[in-house]
Amino acid sequence: MLTLKDFQREEQPNWCPTCGNFGIILGVKKALMELNVPQEEAVLVSGVGCFAKLPYWIKTYGFVGLHGRSLPVAQGVKLANSKLKVIAFGGDGDGYGEGGNHFIHACRRNVNVAYFVHNNGVFGLTTGQYSPTSKKGTKSKSSPSGSEEMPVNPLALAIASGAKFVARAYSGDPKGLIEIMKKAIQYEGFAFVDIMQSCISFGKEHDYFKNKIYYLDESYDASDKVKAMGKALEYEETERFALGIIYQEL
Amino acid sequence: MKKDLVVRIGGEAGLGLAAAADILAKVFVRLGYHIYSSKEYASQIKGGHNYHTLRITSKNISADVNEVEVLFAFSKDTIAKHYEFMREKGVIFVDDSFNVNVEDNKNLVLIKIPVKKLEQELQEKGIINALFLGAFVKYFGIKSSILEEAIKEFFKEKAGQGERNSKAAREAEKLVEKAEEIEIRNNKFDFWSGNDAITLGALDAGLRFHVQYPMTPVSAILHNLAKEAEKNKELKIIQAEDEIAVINMAIGASYAGARAMCASSGGGFALMIEAMGLASMAEVPLVVIEGQRPGPSTGLPTKTEQGDLKFVLYSGTGDFPHVVLAPANIEECYTETKRAFYLAEKYQLPVLVLIDKQLAESFKTLSFHDESRKLSIDFSKKYGIKTKLEDKDLRNGLFKRYQVENDGVYERTLPGMKNGFYTCAGDEHDEIGEIIEEQEIRIKMMQRRMNKLDYIGKELPLQEIYGDKNAEITVVGWGSTSGAIIEAVERLQKEGKSINAFIVKYMRPFMTTEVEEVLGRAKRLILAENNYSAQLGGLIQEKTTIRFEEKILRYDGKNFSVDELYEELKKKC
Repeated sequence: MLTLKDFQREEQPNWCPTCGNFGIILGVKKALMELNVPQEEAVLVSGVGCFAKLPYWIKTYGFVGLHGRSLPVAQGVKLANSKLKVIAFGGDGDGYGEGGNHFIHACRRNVNVAYFVHNNGVFGLTTGQYSPTSKKGTKSKSSPSGSEEMPVNPLALAIASGAKFVARAYSGDPKGLIEIMKKAIQYEGFAFVDIMQSCISFGKEHDYFKNKIYYLDESYDASDKVKAMGKALEYEETERFALGIIYQEL
Repeated sequence: MKKDLVVRIGGEAGLGLAAAADILAKVFVRLGYHIYSSKEYASQIKGGHNYHTLRITSKNISADVNEVEVLFAFSKDTIAKHYEFMREKGVIFVDDSFNVNVEDNKNLVLIKIPVKKLEQELQEKGIINALFLGAFVKYFGIKSSILEEAIKEFFKEKAGQGERNSKAAREAEKLVEKAEEIEIRNNKFDFWSGNDAITLGALDAGLRFHVQYPMTPVSAILHNLAKEAEKNKELKIIQAEDEIAVINMAIGASYAGARAMCASSGGGFALMIEAMGLASMAEVPLVVIEGQRPGPSTGLPTKTEQGDLKFVLYSGTGDFPHVVLAPANIEECYTETKRAFYLAEKYQLPVLVLIDKQLAESFKTLSFHDESRKLSIDFSKKYGIKTKLEDKDLRNGLFKRYQVENDGVYERTLPGMKNGFYTCAGDEHDEIGEIIEEQEIRIKMMQRRMNKLDYIGKELPLQEIYGDKNAEITVVGWGSTSGAIIEAVERLQKEGKSINAFIVKYMRPFMTTEVEEVLGRAKRLILAENNYSAQLGGLIQEKTTIRFEEKILRYDGKNFSVDELYEELKKKC
């Protein structure tokens, strides 16, 4: 049996203390451990941003490429060797801005890759500009009077682009996060998880999510695409974020 | 056949010109002749004016000439457009309904085919190409069975269509008198385009993963490989969303162990250049085909130019090693693609094969087996893969993949190998791929990467000199213009001129000593290139003490013909 120590590297993460990325990296290690994925069969692919350093700190194979380009690399890896468990990582700037086109087409192409997006609604590593998922009107260094663009809705975009596994998770709840990650890793096809997280230096505080998140219960039918689209759009009206598998094709 | 036969097939797009050109080539392949076939076309699917030119000879050639002996006029304006190129006593096949009156002082033979009448009689449409072909073979004394075989091969499974075309051709044969005789030669050729040669080179090198976004002039590579993948289950072909995805996907596949390639023209390659740096930094083997067309921007999308040499040489941020190979003809598209796979894999870096529309989309007769013997590399084994790990290869349980001491041997593990973990990184990194900022490590890593160019330089063969190496004048060129340069220089040599040609094939690493020595021997140098700014000249001037005073440059979207270059050189000799 694998232990957490097997995935531990000597080098330690240099994220800001209490950053949501700590929850996510722990989630990835635990998910791989609990699924008993041999370290040598796991390939973690990322791009550029705070989140993107994650593969440097897990003892598996890792690929840290260009900003916004983790999905094409990850699909290439999986298509070349189908035995590997491939997880691509993105950020909201990296994955929904710079790599937005790849996201749409990865949903369509349905290569067996899990895609975890660290969505904190802000550019962290470039010190706090508004991002593609920032609410309209967000004040930041690059939008002193408030941003003018509407935020992208990643879940709705994924469903509209043909994704067959679309989920939302929250970095501050490890238990729930790990369960969703495990399902995504096990899914035979492109499995997308938007992971909401705080950015204690430039974005939302941890408290922000407290009363806004809720888990979908068993009565929710994730195979109903139209309802799933409604669920994906829900927070735009209510500012409440449903967690769990929003859509999964049967 | 007394001399070269040059056949031009001109008219609007969509009338079957390409089919006529292809079938005619198949006829002459069967007769054992060398063929060089090029096409000029507009960026539109129907209409416009396109033409194919087949130069049929008894020797191996790689260039167009000016004069045309036979013209297939698929449209009325074809004759007016090409009259100036017609040879004395040339032959024109034309639809009699065009009512052409050629103001002719070249004693041309006009063979008028009653296309409408025959279409009515045969209850067929769109058979003008078959009618011209039938009339052509009769006129030149070629057996109709040879044409029938060629038609059959062209239509393959569409046997009914082939049958109808053969029937139409036979009808046209009845209308024409035999005027010439063509002897059969004892050669067995294949007929390749540059795109075909690259496809075959890649397959012979063990290609497993190809990814591309369609773009003229290299879309045929994607088509060829997609077709191949139907029967070869080990080959994966992806048409990706854009060229950024293309190159990153190829890098991912190569990192995971598949021999990978991607292809584009200059505009698509422009999107790839950030990832060229990634492949070089992360040390991932990669073969990239760049088929030039005239820029900037969309430029002249269906024409030819050698305008991207400097762009591909300097395409990336920072200093990083990559290789640029420039094949000079279609046979070298094959051999240099194979070399590209070998170098990419052994030295773990991106290797670019630079061609252009003229090379990519022109065809010539070659013997496939002769070409595959020219560069013998054993592709059944993999280069640069670590198969056994010892304690000294590891640091804290991670593989020292980017070892500084390497003596030119670069080794990686593939994902899936036990204990071979490392991070394949686009950030500057240490030996296990960990992100670093220490100056000392940065310097060592830069040297580790850049040293690859020295090792590769030692593996490249000498570049060719055509003619006496001590000639007074040396003509310098590269890529697709080489065919015309070499032939024009040979003509001048026959006239007693002391002239040779030197073709540069290895752009990076650049063979400074060799080029300096070869060019240093000449009293005069003449540079001939298909671009505005003499880019090869610039490169040579950057790398050597050689200077160019005399240049022949063309940047109108067309390649040099042998005749044009001969005249230009003659003026200078």
